[in-house]
Amino acid sequence: MDIQRIAVLIGKDARLGATNFMVLYVLVMPVVLSLLIALVFGDLLAQTPRLGIYDASASEQFTRPLLDHPSINTTIYDSEETLQSAVERGSEEIGLSLPAGFAASLEDDSAEVVFTAYRWGEAGVRNLLLLESAIARAMTAGIGSSIDQLPVTVNAEQIGSANTQTWSQRLLPLLLIMSIVLGGLFFPAASLLDEKKDRTLVALTSTPTSLLDVYLSKTLMGFILSGIMGSVILLINGAFVGQVALLLLVIALGGLMSSSFGIILGSVSKDMDTFMGIIKGAGILLYAPGILKIFPQVPEWIGRIFPTYYLMNPLLEVTQNGAGFADILIDIVVMAVLVAVLLVLLNSVIGRQQQKLALET
Amino acid sequence: MLSVENLSYTYPGGAQAVRGIDFAIEEGEIFGFLGPSGAGKSTTQKVLIRLLRGFQGRITVLGKPLNQWDDSYYEQVGVAFELPNHYQKLTASENLSLFRSLYSGDTLEPAALLEMVGLKDDADTRLSQFSKGMQMRLNFVRSLIHKPDLLFLDEPTTGLDPVNGQKIKDILRQQKEEGRTIFLTTHDMTVADQICDRVAFIVDGEVTLIDSPRNLRLQHGRRRVTVEYHHDGTSAPTQQAEFPLDGLGDSDEFLKILRTNRIETIHTQEATLEDIFIQTTGRSLT
Repeated sequence: MDIQRIAVLIGKDARLGATNFMVLYVLVMPVVLSLLIALVFGDLLAQTPRLGIYDASASEQFTRPLLDHPSINTTIYDSEETLQSAVERGSEEIGLSLPAGFAASLEDDSAEVVFTAYRWGEAGVRNLLLLESAIARAMTAGIGSSIDQLPVTVNAEQIGSANTQTWSQRLLPLLLIMSIVLGGLFFPAASLLDEKKDRTLVALTSTPTSLLDVYLSKTLMGFILSGIMGSVILLINGAFVGQVALLLLVIALGGLMSSSFGIILGSVSKDMDTFMGIIKGAGILLYAPGILKIFPQVPEWIGRIFPTYYLMNPLLEVTQNGAGFADILIDIVVMAVLVAVLLVLLNSVIGRQQQKLALET
Repeated sequence: MLSVENLSYTYPGGAQAVRGIDFAIEEGEIFGFLGPSGAGKSTTQKVLIRLLRGFQGRITVLGKPLNQWDDSYYEQVGVAFELPNHYQKLTASENLSLFRSLYSGDTLEPAALLEMVGLKDDADTRLSQFSKGMQMRLNFVRSLIHKPDLLFLDEPTTGLDPVNGQKIKDILRQQKEEGRTIFLTTHDMTVADQICDRVAFIVDGEVTLIDSPRNLRLQHGRRRVTVEYHHDGTSAPTQQAEFPLDGLGDSDEFLKILRTNRIETIHTQEATLEDIFIQTTGRSLT
């Protein structure tokens, strides 16, 4: 093994990989999907909390501060039905229905303030908190009283199914698997298959470069891409939070697992068509844990059957549940064992490739 | 420089491709390894360049048993394969630069190498736009990039036009002048005849004969001269006569033909390497 030669080969692979359509597709796809999901489900462009108001009492002193609020999107509706409908489809996260006399009750310290609040079942906690705080401030604006001093009755009603996870959160596991696993798997496999097709593998091994150097460089390149892609997807989805070092450790193990698997697949596949056939036929086994996560009602144990679960689960535990090292230790150990098995297999595959190289030249 | 003793190689599956061959190559020698397809010449070369392991016999290269060499072997050995194997998305210059950076010793400038084989103007052209002949020339010149002591070349003139074929042969002679040893695998007897110091014939995995092309021609040629001549001023067709080479100067008939006719050709009846190959092995080269 020679570090300098491996570096030269990585440079060459990076250059050639940049012109490989399949590699680019696999790298760009998760990023595009992340952005699309954020766009469609509102997490990217609609981070601003959304408030809808039906104001039967024309209480300008209450609605004006909310309409002018720089951090809230407030919309006035002309009927309670349209407001309810907007909340139901998620256009508004909270809908306030202010009855006739609401403005007067605000000005009268002794009168009870009564109104109805509709809450969208899938509204995020962060936005709900921001909206509630803004509403409370608006109620006391101009009257000088504290919210504690106001006799308020809120008829709260939830509209739509309750779900603590947004679509972005539910799709994140799939995106993580796509970016880390496919990013790490495709590059080494495609690159090795290209070398085999152009017979450059034998040209390289007729220099002081060993087959191990070639395999290591491609595995490392897949590992690096996998790490970058995993981190980018977490960042885009606002999930690069919690114990960052722990996240990086999990991504690194996942990257090593994927790139080792990729180079093995590239080595045993006759050509690119065979490789794509394997991916199309058995790729579902890689994505399965991510797909299952979309449906919270599916039992957790089913996901555990698939190896990529042990990459996906610790990432979600850290980013969504604030888990620490001890909480995800079992997943990490399983992943480390899988990596060790793949490395042993890789060693055997390199030996066979050496023989094949001589026979096919 | 290189010695092979009782080399045998059996492929997984049981096919024995090489059967106990022996030969030795001196430093600075161009050694031609000739034989038809499937004779065992490529297998022998693959063993010698460490592509095939698990051979039987003893091989010593550059003073060291072959199985004791590690990857540093290729710092001193240059290899060119029969089929081009380059990165098609890189230019000729980039291909050479890449391979150059894989060696730790002194190397040659890609531009100088490209000029050597007439590819200087195509240095920045992608390999995917090269013809097979151009790729072959690049294949050949890549094996020289690290100034190896020993070159293994497999059919280096295949697919080349006569001009470029001649260029490669000239470079090989120049490499020999510089002290390099060349192991040339080919089925092209003309190339072997023109540039090899010695040749070995291999058939069915066995070396049947090793000698210099000149010795072989002398040993296997007919010591006779053929003259083709024409009677001046007549419409008679061209005539032909054959004389023994020994005592030719004392042959009155031969001298008379020379004096009284218009000579069209005079040839000694040397055998070609191909004739000798067929004669000694009973096999053709195709």
